Amino acid sequence: MFIQSFRLPIGINLSNGLLKINQGSLLRESKVLINRFYATERLTVKPLESRKTFLMDYYKDMMESNPVILFVHYNNLMKQENEHYRSLIKSNGGKLSMLRNNLFKAYLRAAHTEDPSAPIQNKDKNMNHPLLPLFNGPTAAIMFKETSPANVAKIVKLLEKAQDKLFIVGAKVETEVYDVAQLNEFKKLPSKPELQAQLLGLLHILSGAGLVNTLEKGSQTLYLTLKSHHDNKESQGN
Amino acid sequence: MITKYFSKIVVKFNPFGAEAKTARLFLCAIPPLQRMQGTMIQNELLTNGSTKKPILKVTFKDKTEMETNPGEMTFQEVSNYFDTHSRRLQLKETIEKQ
Repeated sequence: MFIQSFRLPIGINLSNGLLKINQGSLLRESKVLINRFYATERLTVKPLESRKTFLMDYYKDMMESNPVILFVHYNNLMKQENEHYRSLIKSNGGKLSMLRNNLFKAYLRAAHTEDPSAPIQNKDKNMNHPLLPLFNGPTAAIMFKETSPANVAKIVKLLEKAQDKLFIVGAKVETEVYDVAQLNEFKKLPSKPELQAQLLGLLHILSGAGLVNTLEKGSQTLYLTLKSHHDNKESQGN
Repeated sequence: MITKYFSKIVVKFNPFGAEAKTARLFLCAIPPLQRMQGTMIQNELLTNGSTKKPILKVTFKDKTEMETNPGEMTFQEVSNYFDTHSRRLQLKETIEKQ
């Protein structure tokens, strides 16, 4: 019988040409199969729809889509204080979010992998991530969608007033990790578009000295070589 | 930790250092109401380059000062250390009340 050459689902026996189905085992096995199907979709340490997996995804998104993140220590904020600081930070272009330390540390250890919530072996964990020592004690993150030192300066000034209720312990700027002193240096810089404009201006001034010509030269010589080759071919064809 | 008898607290630590955990847990062990009722809290953040030593310093209501290095102790040890004096004050208070 040709049909026997195919792999049959478990629980179906083909013997003497009769189809026998063991219902109980079919149900059990199909559940296993469905689970396996999901598992190939995405394998996570914690259940796929659990809060822990959600938070890991949230942290991944937060760290990858926000170029500037300030990490702050918070001390027993009362309800009004909490709302007050949240609204102040929001009006200055940031967003405050309290972090779960152990989950965030787990994310940092696996941040270099494609999916941080996937199971990972101890030897693959990044135990020396520079941000790791910051997550002892209550920590929150203030994130910014854009790299603008002016906004950071505003928030830093605002948090100085909060004194020991909310204070900055470290920061992530683009790919670097800053401590408080480095952050104070950073907030004095002009914003990124301004810096780019300055660089462009500088290039325009220097173009008199042949910088633009030098940059163009590579493509120009290539074009001329190809052109002469083309002309040669044409003259040979004639 | 009995924080009732603290009148002034000075905390200096480097958030990237080993002392950060103890210092930060100590800071968040002070109840918010106590902050409003006049316990002074000063905290200073050190950076990797600074030469100052990390410190936890508490002045009690009877003006005794106690200080430790948070880098060498766990939070539990720090709390026991300050409690030795707090208990003394507590005892004194109950005797005076009677």
